[in-house]
Amino acid sequence: MEFLSLLDLTFFLLAGFGALVGIIFGAIPGMTATMAVAVCLPLTYALGLHHGLALLLGLYVGGISGGMVPAVLLNIPGTPSSITTTFDGYPMAQKGEGEKALRVCVVASVVGGLISAAVLFLFAPLLADFSIKFSYVEKFLIILLALSVIASLSSSMLIGIFSGVIGIWLSLIGDYSISDGGNGKTRLMFDFMEPYLFEGFSLLPVLIGIFGISTILLEAEKGVKSDTTNKRIKIGKGAGFSLSIFKGRLTNLVRSSFIGTFIGMLPGVGGSAASVLAYTQEKNLARDSSQMGKGAPQGLIASESANNALTGGALIPLLSLGIPGDSTTAVLIGAFTLQGIQVGPLFIPENPETWYIMMTALVFANIVMFFLMFYAIKHIAKVVMVPKHILYPIIVMMCVVGAYAINYGIMFDVWTLLIFGILGYLVQKIGLEVAPLIIGFILGSQAEVYFVKSLESFGTFSIFFTKSPIAVVLWGLIIASVMFSIVMGVKSRAREKMELTQITGSTQTASGKGHDSNSR
Amino acid sequence: MESGLSSLLSVSIDFETSHLYFPRIIHWIMAGLFAVILVTKVAPFLVAVKRGERTLPIVGEPMDGWRFFGTLALIVAYFYLMTVVGDMFPYTGYGFLFVSMAFVLLMSLMYMHEWTKKSLTIVVVNAVVAPSLAWFVLAKLFTITLP
Repeated sequence: MEFLSLLDLTFFLLAGFGALVGIIFGAIPGMTATMAVAVCLPLTYALGLHHGLALLLGLYVGGISGGMVPAVLLNIPGTPSSITTTFDGYPMAQKGEGEKALRVCVVASVVGGLISAAVLFLFAPLLADFSIKFSYVEKFLIILLALSVIASLSSSMLIGIFSGVIGIWLSLIGDYSISDGGNGKTRLMFDFMEPYLFEGFSLLPVLIGIFGISTILLEAEKGVKSDTTNKRIKIGKGAGFSLSIFKGRLTNLVRSSFIGTFIGMLPGVGGSAASVLAYTQEKNLARDSSQMGKGAPQGLIASESANNALTGGALIPLLSLGIPGDSTTAVLIGAFTLQGIQVGPLFIPENPETWYIMMTALVFANIVMFFLMFYAIKHIAKVVMVPKHILYPIIVMMCVVGAYAINYGIMFDVWTLLIFGILGYLVQKIGLEVAPLIIGFILGSQAEVYFVKSLESFGTFSIFFTKSPIAVVLWGLIIASVMFSIVMGVKSRAREKMELTQITGSTQTASGKGHDSNSR
Repeated sequence: MESGLSSLLSVSIDFETSHLYFPRIIHWIMAGLFAVILVTKVAPFLVAVKRGERTLPIVGEPMDGWRFFGTLALIVAYFYLMTVVGDMFPYTGYGFLFVSMAFVLLMSLMYMHEWTKKSLTIVVVNAVVAPSLAWFVLAKLFTITLP
């Protein structure tokens, strides 16, 4: 309990402040928890590790939760993970039950967040203990597994893998670092770039560029239209909410929380997957799901408990293996590096105090989020109306501060923002995927060291299959994830084909002309 | 047979060129994947484009060119001028402060759809207050280096 002496008022204030700012970011459509963490990073430069963590975890929890506000009130998911909240939240808001719907969401969120925090607390040290024995061979295979899981859950596995490999390629630019046992020579660049790129691109400017600047470019291209001007917020009366709504819904609540936690653990899989899965499970398993999609609280419970459960889940692989569970935790890796902490199997055993402090911050942030949103929801709901032309310039400005200050004033890091902002824009435009690319970028240079060092010491490729039983198990998991994706792909293609033949069949019988216009 | 397989799998990496070993593998994987994507995704897509069923990304889509390229130009000017002005007042963060004010103002004006007196006032006040606040909190309170 020594860590208790490290907690002070500032710590709790920062966690609470983080949750508030996070909620605001999450509530503004188009801004995500990742962006909140990325934009607020410069604030942590001057704070110590523990205070910085309190702020960042507050932002994370708040950012994921805030998405419910526009989802319910405007039918726009504030963050991708609240997509399923719109299905039932908006119909409720139209019936004048906006506040009731939001309160259901808040309660579901806090339960999801706390359950996942408990799983994190119990599971991360175990996984870390287990993975401590990993040699370079297993570590390389873990990264390979992480990348194959991300790729297999992308909309197209081929595109997912390709995006991941591009990320790895980008991470190799620079020197093969001597501190990692490399020869210190540079590659993948021209000589004139060496002064800027000797150590490669810095992680945080890359992340801030991809999540901050490219979002702005995508919006600018669409003309920065305000999607809130023609809509009026109908929040409704607070009456109608009571905890009895949750009666008989505990299974749903707990199941969705565990689904969210589990999806969070899978690297690179965003929040939308968690809430969609929890929602469909509730639809399949509930005794009465006829009202879902028309304004049923059970849909809100499934969606919001799952997306908040992501937070704890995504931290598990980060803290035990050093592999980020989603894009927000990818930014957190940057924040850790900044404070001189290497996340990985040794993190929890070597920094028990920091570990307990993180848990305290996570739980506290969930509680603050609950009280802020439960009682002040009416006022928070107003931020969805803040115009984008005010917000976007400020975001660019904060991105600049974050990138510039990261290495104590290097202008090239600011230009990195722009380079990766444009790259992120192009990647999303041509249909590649950002999440695998980022995870590839973060893990690429480690993958190189583990791979090359394994080959140098054993001198044969067969070592990746014969090193230990764990290696065999990891290969099994890699193959399973690839097979899963192939089976899913074949299934969905078969379904598409069936629907297509049905459509063409029905149009053909209706009239010949209809078929003509269909094929054009 | 056994020895044939193991000699096939055995490998020795020259330390001098070890920095090129992994990138070379990645290049091959990238090239292979790219070829597969060309055949399975890009070619059918281009055929669909030719038939007029799909449009090319970026060039074939409707785009607010003025705001998009305006944003790019503003950001480039912002980054560039920040250093220029910052060099005039070293170690003060004034480069960030003054250039940010201009940037926030211009970008807000560019993104604004309805110009009314009220919204203009808000934009101008925001352009002065937001950078000042950021500069004060970061540079003064937290002593973070700014351009």
